[in-house]
Amino acid sequence: MSTPAAAVAAGVLPGRVWLYSNYHCNLTCTYCLTESGPGVQRRELTAERMLETARQAAELGFTALGVTGGEPFLVPDMPKTLAGLGAILPTVGLTNGTLFTGRRLAAVEVLAGTDVALQISLDSADPAVNDEARGPDNFAKVVAAIPALIERGITVRIATTGESDNPDDLARLCELHRGLGVPDSDHVVRPVISRGRAVTADLGVDATVDDLPAELTITADGAFWSPFGPTVINGRLDTDLLLTRTTDPLRVPAQTLLGLVEGRPAGGDTTLNIR
Amino acid sequence: MLLDAAAAPLTARPYYQNGDPGPLVAALATVPELLEVSLPFLTTVLGASTLDARTKEIVIVRTSALLHCVYCGNSHSVVALDSGLTAAEVVALRDEPRAALGGEREDALLGWVDAVAGGNGPVADAVAARFGRSFADHEVVELTLLVGATMMLNRFCTALELPTSPAVIDRLTAAGLR
Repeated sequence: MSTPAAAVAAGVLPGRVWLYSNYHCNLTCTYCLTESGPGVQRRELTAERMLETARQAAELGFTALGVTGGEPFLVPDMPKTLAGLGAILPTVGLTNGTLFTGRRLAAVEVLAGTDVALQISLDSADPAVNDEARGPDNFAKVVAAIPALIERGITVRIATTGESDNPDDLARLCELHRGLGVPDSDHVVRPVISRGRAVTADLGVDATVDDLPAELTITADGAFWSPFGPTVINGRLDTDLLLTRTTDPLRVPAQTLLGLVEGRPAGGDTTLNIR
Repeated sequence: MLLDAAAAPLTARPYYQNGDPGPLVAALATVPELLEVSLPFLTTVLGASTLDARTKEIVIVRTSALLHCVYCGNSHSVVALDSGLTAAEVVALRDEPRAALGGEREDALLGWVDAVAGGNGPVADAVAARFGRSFADHEVVELTLLVGATMMLNRFCTALELPTSPAVIDRLTAAGLR
């Protein structure tokens, strides 16, 4: 078996390591993979734990980090933690974008000029369509937050999750994000994956391990094949994409992931455009 | 706590390829890195080796009886029958006090098992000497590890209340062992 560093350098293993900072959220989106919401167990990774994982990831040869949840910005000091992570490896922080007002908006200024981008969910240019999945006033909060963040020197990406195959819908959304200051290169579009709450709501497409890039994902419950792995349904954690319960040292799940990747047939991992 | 095939982690999936792998695997699969090392270890220690299957099952059934492990006692009573022990011999191993099996080699072995699994502290010199006269050093090592591994399994299976499979219960019933 090769090393993670060699595998990442050769493109065999994706370079990004994901961290689930927490599972609680101020929203209860219809397709949420983790059944996140205000009342769920937080299952947080501490800032120290995330930073140590990042250091180990860099030593192992990984090249980027991602932070997701839950809503990471519900965790106190998340801006400082993200800045710390960005000092170790380029980092993208996923957020629903609804919390950036007042003190939180001021606190996030620490990310200006760092190697941290915020990826904000925005599913439609139609407020009603967007808010149907993501909650009341979501659209208005997000389109207010994006320019406010950009004005403060923070890199913003937009992630669109949805089932619409209407090119007009996508064109209108792209027109919107360009107007908000986010270029096409920072807009990702992906399908709803039928895991977590999406299963309950009968939404999305089935994704097997062969559909999901092997992006090492660290949570309070263990390490997973992909950020689409540590999903929750009816309050129970899915284990089908669990790699190891051990996450420290990071080489344990990294070697397990690499062993699986090297035993995996080539091809077939990009059909659903899951990124 | 027991994972079915749909919930089996990636590295555990091979154990489910031929159907239900049993409750031990289904429990260990919740910590896949432990499954990956413990199953090969247990298979090596409890499975075929230079020691004959009858000898090993004597150790496992007797140890499981001493530690009152219902799951291991039931499962390995069936394996013992398949390894050439009679139903009467299995009963003798499970009884307390146990009956002798009748041969010096096996009775010396049972003395060792009773001392290791049922006692505390060092094994009495006389028991060790008798055992050592019937078994070579490497066999002493292997059989002692077998006792220890079985004790580990006994406590694991008992604490987690792993269920005996219906097929095992049917076999035990047919053999008059229930």
